[in-house]
Amino acid sequence: MSKPASGEKDNSLLQLEDVSRSYQMGQVEVKALIRVTLDIVRGEFIVILGPSGSGKTTLLNLIGGIDSPSSGKITVDGIEITALDEKGLTGYRRNHIGFIFQFFNLIPTLTAKENVEFAAELVEKPGDVLEVLELVGLKERANHYPSELSGGEQQRVAIARAMVKDPPILLCDEPTGELDFETGKHILAAMRRINEVNRKTVLLVTHNTAIGDIAHRVIRLRSGEIVEVRQNPSPADPQELRW
Amino acid sequence: MNKLQRKLVRDLAASKGLILAVAVVIFLGVALFGASFMGYQNLKSSYDYSYERLRFADFTVKVGEAPSNAVEELEVIPGVAAVTGRVNTDIALELPGDDGKRVEARVISLPSGERAAVNDVKVEEGSYFQGDDGNVLLVEKSFAKHHELNPGDTVSLTVDDQEISFRIAGIVTSPEYIWAAKSRQEILVSPETFGVVFVSQDTVSELVGKPSINEFCFLIDEGADRDSIIAQVEDELVPYGVMEVVTREEQPSYAALEQDLEGFGAMAAAFPLLFLSVGALATYILLTRIVHSQRAQIGLMRAIGYSRRQVLVHYLSFALVIGIIGALSGAIAGYLLSEVITNFYIGFLGLPFTKIEMQWLAVAEGIFIGILPCIVAGILPAYSASRISPAEAMRTPPPATGRKILLERLFPFLTRLSSLWKIPLRNIFRNRRRSLYTVIGVTFGVSLILVSAGMMDSVEALIDFQFNDIQRYDAQVTFAQPQPIALVDEVNGWDEVEEAQPVLQIPIRLEHGEKTYFTFVMGLSPDSELYGLHSTGGGQVAVSDERILLSEGLRKTLDIDAGDVITLRSSFAFQQVEVAGFVKQPLGSFGYVTVEQAQELAGGQDIISGLMLNVKPEYIDTIREKANQIPATASVELTAETKGEIDEMMDLGMAIMWVMLAFGATLAFAIVFTTVTVNILERRREIATMRTLGEGKIRIAGMITVENLLLGLAGLIPGILLGYGLALYYFRLMQTDMFSFDLVIFPTTYVLTAGVVIFIMLISQLPGIRQVNRLNLAQMTKEQAT
Ligand SMILES: Nc1ncnc2c1ncn2[C@@H]1O[C@H](COP(=O)(O)OP(=O)(O)OP(=O)(O)O)[C@@H](O)[C@H]1O
Ligand SMILES: [Mg+2]
Repeated sequence: MSKPASGEKDNSLLQLEDVSRSYQMGQVEVKALIRVTLDIVRGEFIVILGPSGSGKTTLLNLIGGIDSPSSGKITVDGIEITALDEKGLTGYRRNHIGFIFQFFNLIPTLTAKENVEFAAELVEKPGDVLEVLELVGLKERANHYPSELSGGEQQRVAIARAMVKDPPILLCDEPTGELDFETGKHILAAMRRINEVNRKTVLLVTHNTAIGDIAHRVIRLRSGEIVEVRQNPSPADPQELRW
Repeated sequence: MNKLQRKLVRDLAASKGLILAVAVVIFLGVALFGASFMGYQNLKSSYDYSYERLRFADFTVKVGEAPSNAVEELEVIPGVAAVTGRVNTDIALELPGDDGKRVEARVISLPSGERAAVNDVKVEEGSYFQGDDGNVLLVEKSFAKHHELNPGDTVSLTVDDQEISFRIAGIVTSPEYIWAAKSRQEILVSPETFGVVFVSQDTVSELVGKPSINEFCFLIDEGADRDSIIAQVEDELVPYGVMEVVTREEQPSYAALEQDLEGFGAMAAAFPLLFLSVGALATYILLTRIVHSQRAQIGLMRAIGYSRRQVLVHYLSFALVIGIIGALSGAIAGYLLSEVITNFYIGFLGLPFTKIEMQWLAVAEGIFIGILPCIVAGILPAYSASRISPAEAMRTPPPATGRKILLERLFPFLTRLSSLWKIPLRNIFRNRRRSLYTVIGVTFGVSLILVSAGMMDSVEALIDFQFNDIQRYDAQVTFAQPQPIALVDEVNGWDEVEEAQPVLQIPIRLEHGEKTYFTFVMGLSPDSELYGLHSTGGGQVAVSDERILLSEGLRKTLDIDAGDVITLRSSFAFQQVEVAGFVKQPLGSFGYVTVEQAQELAGGQDIISGLMLNVKPEYIDTIREKANQIPATASVELTAETKGEIDEMMDLGMAIMWVMLAFGATLAFAIVFTTVTVNILERRREIATMRTLGEGKIRIAGMITVENLLLGLAGLIPGILLGYGLALYYFRLMQTDMFSFDLVIFPTTYVLTAGVVIFIMLISQLPGIRQVNRLNLAQMTKEQAT
């Protein structure tokens, strides 16, 4: 397994500098993220670990351009996204980011295939919808509505929807949370393949420490702070995972 | 079709009931607008065309008597385009048939050869005068129709106590009698007792023996100053005794039609406005709900790269679709309805000419005013949708805060209520805005039903008042010429008559300051019981010496008040008297004095112009024949018969009111259905949770019903107030010297309205209840995760 070319300055894709995010809840200030600084290289596969409420989703939201930090600067591909206006952010989300949300958020009135097309129509050169559905093992269920799918199947539609836009960055919030062991491994393998073959950068959030083994780098969050960054010299093959 | 559009179509289909309910409100508004506006235009252009074709006079001057060549001096006045002189007089006319029925006929002369330059007639059947064909006349159509008179039939006119036979040459329509009113005071007059006939000027001269005229009709040049021409004409005519100048706007038929048209115009503005604002409100409520329930979807759209503008347009499209469905179907229905109304009117009035054009502009306006409120109402929720922050929207919604409501803190016993009452109460106060919408919906529904029902009640009350409280006599005999007062005693001696009382009705000009008004004074005996005078302040009043009672409409027309001194000017005399007070008088505006005082105004003779009779019930059918034995009798009006006639005429108005009532009920249904259904659907999850916790379907339906009933009751009071206010406002607009309605709403109407609205509420919550009761609980819990 090849390592992404880290260290080369011009290969750096994403920089977070002193990024904080806090929420005002009445009198109390909830600090979801505290002075996070991070540099991510093009083609890197990163796993973010941390207990519930540690700020994982908040971090992905900030990178995905759907939330803005209370302070700090985020730069992606040379673009300072924290300085973008609404229009610029929309374009950024459209063209740079594929997002798999923690609560899948499918459109209930569109079928599985249509939900994927719903995203594909946003970009100029989308992937083939049926191919992507096949990749997540849902080709047979393409014409089913979300309410006719199981939780895991819905999650896989959400994964297909993120992948079809063929974005340089994939943000995955608990993509295997609802999946059984075998399917989960299958999906993780698919993501590794996208990461390796298509040179996509992947940030994957999970509770599951075992999944950290397949990453180039593991980042551990606690109470909004990065408590550990671990390089993984030889990432494991998803097929070898046990949990 | 891209997926966003597909989503729109599917979402629309998923709430098609609600979408349609709101579209129906828009539909009704646009249909009402189209029907009344296009109906208004059709009628107006048809009236105008008829006036133009038949050269309807710009003004008419009545004089005592003038030679027929007086016209020559008038023709040369600058600005006068044409003038005709004619005889216009009321004569008794006997109809063909054995019973020798007599009516009061307005006899108007027309030129024998060429057609009249002003106020011509249109021959609908038979022919115009054709030279020396003996005594012939033309009969106005509505009168002919009522009595089934045809060309060739014979009627007779009583001239100088002599009956002279006339053959009917033709049936005609006249621009002056499209609405066959006898005078401004007698707008609603039955063809049973009054009709218009036309005879040739030559025939009149032969009958009367001298070529004289008593009325001049003028057409003026376009742009000429009518007032100054009238002034010059009056100067010219001084030697002949100018009695009255009637402008086109004051002409009874014209004025009556104009007022009716104005009603149309007001309807074309007011009611669609009401419907469309309710439609806008309903659109707003519905779209707010859609946006609210799709928060997570909106968050997703924004997160994966849909722009604010795409989101805005997407949600605005919901409103646009409602507007388009409602406006297009409404425009078509409005057009069809306007055809129906126009044809009905044209048939009913028997217009001489009609001019009906396709009004594309009105159709376009209808579509525009139907779509506009939806878009306006949709902008706010659609905009707020586009502003939703994606990260925020995609978090799972925070659980609704369950806390004691203020009411419970104030009245602790409420917490001990059974949950069947407690939960609905909490729901009402927990989402006050949603509750307010339902209350507003009910308020509008109630007020609309009440306005239409109130109109019907008022007309019924008016007719009741006119025929039970004012005209308390069974029959009224009107004489062609004044009769000696001794006749009263003679008629009182008749077997058929329980009581006879005198009337002396004379034309009069009322003057107060700058204001003048031409009408009749009625001389009555102070103890007259057959003609009821009801003070505007309440209670009965009677005529008294040296004072005059006026119809309430004149208070405004003459800008006069009780205690003021008013000038009465007749052809014979001039008096200044104090205004004793005002009486309620729904139809026309009169002055009331004692018989003696009226006699002074009539030249000081002991005369009467008519008799009011109370007839013994067994003789009611024969009293007409008996009264006709008095040679001077021009007509015998039976109160019961007239009331029947008027009821029939009022049917037209009533039909319109029923349509309005149906519209109102539909509106109430649509708005209540929308708010109630939205209210229920917004709580699907909550209800599903209650069901999983073991609440039964019946109890849940019960709670929803209790909640809706409470909201319905809360909307009832403001609805009644608003409805009453609207009706009052509308009635104020309608008040003129010709009609003066009092707003009357029967107590039963309030009860019925309340009943209807509560019933509508109960019905309209059924689809919502059925839907939540069919909820698939497993699916609901899953939906929560998506
Ligand atoms: N919109 C918000 N308003 C207030 N507090 C918030 C908001 N969003 C997040 N938080 C708080 O910020 C903290 C971090 O939240 P975040 O969703 O990032 O956690 P997480 O690591 O993704 O947790 P989980 O594993 O349960 O998904 C939490 O304490 C959360 O309650
Ligand atoms: Mg999370």
